[in-house]
Amino acid sequence: MDPTATLGEVLGRRGFGRRSLLKFAIAMTSSLALPPALAPVMAANLAKAKRRSVIWLSFQECTGCLETLLRSSSPSIEALIFDFISLDYQESLMAAAGADAERTLREAVSANKGEYLLAIDGSIPVKDGGVYSMTGGRSNLGMLTEIAADAKAVLAIGTCAAYGGIPKAYPNPTGAAGVEDLISGKPIVNIPGCPPLPEVLSGVLVHFISFGRLPELDELRRPLAYFGTTIHDQCYRRPFYDQGKFAKSFDDDGARQGWCLFELGCKGPVTHNACASLKWNGGTSFPIQSGHGCIGCSEPDFWDAGSFYTSLAGGSSAGWRNTGIALGVGVAGGLAAALSGRRKST
Amino acid sequence: MRGFVSDFGPTAALSMESCVHCGRCADACQFYVQTGDPRYTPIHKIAPFRQAYAREVGPFAMFYRLLGLARKVTADELTKWQDLIYDSCNMCGRCSLICPMGIDIADLVEKARHGMYRAGLAPSDYLGLLAEKEQATGSPFGLSTTKFREMLNAIADQHGVAMHVDEATADIVPTVSSIDLKTYPGSMAAIAKILNHMGESWTFRTDGFDADNVSLTAGDRDGQRKTTLGIVQAAASCGAKTLLMPECGHAFTEMRWEAANAFGKPLPFRVMQITEFLAEGLADGRIRVKTVKQRATYHDACQISRRGGATAGPRIILEALGVDLHETEDTGDSNWCCGGGGGVALINRAAPLRKKAFEIKQRQIEATGMETVYTSCSGCRQTLDHGGKAAQWNKTVGSLLELVADSLRP
Amino acid sequence: MTLLDFARGPGLQGAWLIMVAGTAWRVSGILLLRQRSHLAAPRIGFAGRVRVGLATVFTRFVPRRTFWPRIAVSVGLSSTFHLGLAVIVLGGAPHILLIHQFFWLTWPNLPKGLVAIVSGVTLASMIALLFRRIYHPVLRLLSKADDYLSWLLVFLPVLTGILLSGETIASYSTWLTMHILSVELMMVWLPFGKLLHVKLAFFGRAAMGMNFARKGAAT
Repeated sequence: MDPTATLGEVLGRRGFGRRSLLKFAIAMTSSLALPPALAPVMAANLAKAKRRSVIWLSFQECTGCLETLLRSSSPSIEALIFDFISLDYQESLMAAAGADAERTLREAVSANKGEYLLAIDGSIPVKDGGVYSMTGGRSNLGMLTEIAADAKAVLAIGTCAAYGGIPKAYPNPTGAAGVEDLISGKPIVNIPGCPPLPEVLSGVLVHFISFGRLPELDELRRPLAYFGTTIHDQCYRRPFYDQGKFAKSFDDDGARQGWCLFELGCKGPVTHNACASLKWNGGTSFPIQSGHGCIGCSEPDFWDAGSFYTSLAGGSSAGWRNTGIALGVGVAGGLAAALSGRRKST
Repeated sequence: MRGFVSDFGPTAALSMESCVHCGRCADACQFYVQTGDPRYTPIHKIAPFRQAYAREVGPFAMFYRLLGLARKVTADELTKWQDLIYDSCNMCGRCSLICPMGIDIADLVEKARHGMYRAGLAPSDYLGLLAEKEQATGSPFGLSTTKFREMLNAIADQHGVAMHVDEATADIVPTVSSIDLKTYPGSMAAIAKILNHMGESWTFRTDGFDADNVSLTAGDRDGQRKTTLGIVQAAASCGAKTLLMPECGHAFTEMRWEAANAFGKPLPFRVMQITEFLAEGLADGRIRVKTVKQRATYHDACQISRRGGATAGPRIILEALGVDLHETEDTGDSNWCCGGGGGVALINRAAPLRKKAFEIKQRQIEATGMETVYTSCSGCRQTLDHGGKAAQWNKTVGSLLELVADSLRP
Repeated sequence: MTLLDFARGPGLQGAWLIMVAGTAWRVSGILLLRQRSHLAAPRIGFAGRVRVGLATVFTRFVPRRTFWPRIAVSVGLSSTFHLGLAVIVLGGAPHILLIHQFFWLTWPNLPKGLVAIVSGVTLASMIALLFRRIYHPVLRLLSKADDYLSWLLVFLPVLTGILLSGETIASYSTWLTMHILSVELMMVWLPFGKLLHVKLAFFGRAAMGMNFARKGAAT
């Protein structure tokens, strides 16, 4: 691909004309919850847009975020956009390795100083000087600090990069932290989810390419367009919730009729994401549709929020042992008081 | 405060802990209902004692003291509560019956009086005086044993009844109330008449005859024990099988339900309120009566019916006598107190308040349309008499005991 | 850890343990005082006294006729509130779910709409009760800080529960957090103030019933 070509030229060569781009822009403004009037503006901007350098650093991750973003069942404009952005560094995808890879990184940073987008997936361990995740002898913590310094903006992709994710779960032996805990003074977007919806990343990129800035974010730095509502707000099983029809166990009659999974631990009401409307694998399904409650994977500390199968009406048990101890302490105190009272009563 | 918290068991403690400030006890109390003064709210009457309880005997007493959550109640402060604990409480138990938490407020007032007496705060007039006299001579009216014997003999002559006094052995020992001694001496003739009619072996004992126990209502625990045990010893020493309590409310509750505790073991005889005794005698035919062609209503004494469990007796008696009984609207266990009980009648300054409380009873009796009201407590009888006079009644107040005595068939 | 995680986690555990310990302390401190001896001949035997004691627990719910006209308002408001609360707590699906998680009991729930109506009535009765407590001379004299605090600690769960159920004004997350935290606050205070009447009422009525039955006195 010609590195100096605009997106409009690239798409034109592949048979997608202005009308297709406009149709795409209309769909995108809707997805981003922007006013419809902005669609022609977005289409025009996209046509003029130059390739944007993206440097992607993978830290303490399972690679699930990368996999999900790359899964694409049929060529789409989203896929083409991923081709269009200059993914200058990504350890799983690039051909280079070893010293070559390191040189590629250095060159990408210096060539696009102040203009590249830094995408991070995986949490960053900070304990013991960050030794628990290292690449080529350098700690992730060190790499993050250095490379973020010259980035235009940082995209924390997946719950691990955003908030620490699974590695941060109790007892957090590596001292895992999210990007926002470690970087300040740079625009940060969190795209949480375990993994996140691919459409969210493409939406953020399109917005950035079209308007030169990140979309509106909520107080947890998540794009409001995708994280402004909860699963509960958009869930197709909501009528059953309202009617009080709940599955009592997996695969019981209610479950088979697609009743609400609240009693089986669904965290939909307190989880912000677009899974219930956009769904997964190109709109095929999402966990609730498959019969399992939402586990709240786009929320901070979801792994430490108690069992996935304890409903929101329930909570952590103190345990019989502790209850017994409390009872014992109470009776002991009461007995002591009563004995003292007995002495005064005679 | 030590005086107050002594003898505090789980039930009293529960009562202290449980109040939820619902205010319903006020609506049961004749003093609040008639005056609208919230200070007469029953549970409020013992407020300083709830504080003392929390500080001294409650489950968190240690914390109350350490953190200063309840001040120590001073004797000075308690002076302000004197009229609430003495003048405006008959210990009638209506409040205990209404309380949704099952708090026996009437009993707590009795306990509060222990504390008040210890602090020297029993009302100085009449009540305090009476209690002292009672300990010295066995009667609040300062009637010694000799005087009592003389009185009994005079009654024997006057009414033509055979009187038994200080016999060495007897099956039945009757007792009297101080009000009978002063105001209704006919009751002693009545008991004698009935017991003779039944052919029972009985005797008055001049070493234990006045069961009124004013010390109880004053809050003097020691005096209370002394009076009670005096009577118990007197009855036990002549081998009595039955101790008869007179027409008097507190005399009955004290002897029937508390005396054994003071004695330290179960009493060696039955304790019966006179109405219980008469009802039993009428039922099994030992007492034979003429029919009395009368229409009347009945006033229950709080300590005998509601608090004492002897509500049925008077009805059995009236039915046996053939009296056409028209009950008041609230009767039996739900009765309103006459206003004179619990020692209130003995407090001079409480007279206006007592009068107001009595108006409820007055209304209810008048509403029955009856000319005659019977009762089986001399305290109530006296209150009804005085109240009736003040209200310029034309009603007759009668004693059930005397009615039975007057209606005996030879 | 978010506030919601705290509420559903250590908050719930802590509040439960404090409630258990405090209640055990206060109740045993009362019941373990020396029992008064009762040496007088009782009118009925022990079994009979127990029977009357248990019966009194229930008969005290309905006052005697002699008291009725004067306490009708008090009984009406209080019964509405208590029954309403019982319907909400025992009939509402999420509460049954909570009880099921910890005590393995379950039963069918009432329809959400019915519970919603009852909640509204309960809330209104609570407001009426507060007004009454402030303006009635007897209640004004008797009431202390604990009375008002206890009212607030019950009012907040009812209010936040209604808002949670209606999912209005603020997010589900916010109301769920507030609802659970307000219940935990109530649990923490429960053993120490008048709220413990939830336990003491039964003991008190039963004790009075047993004691009075011994005398054949009116219960």
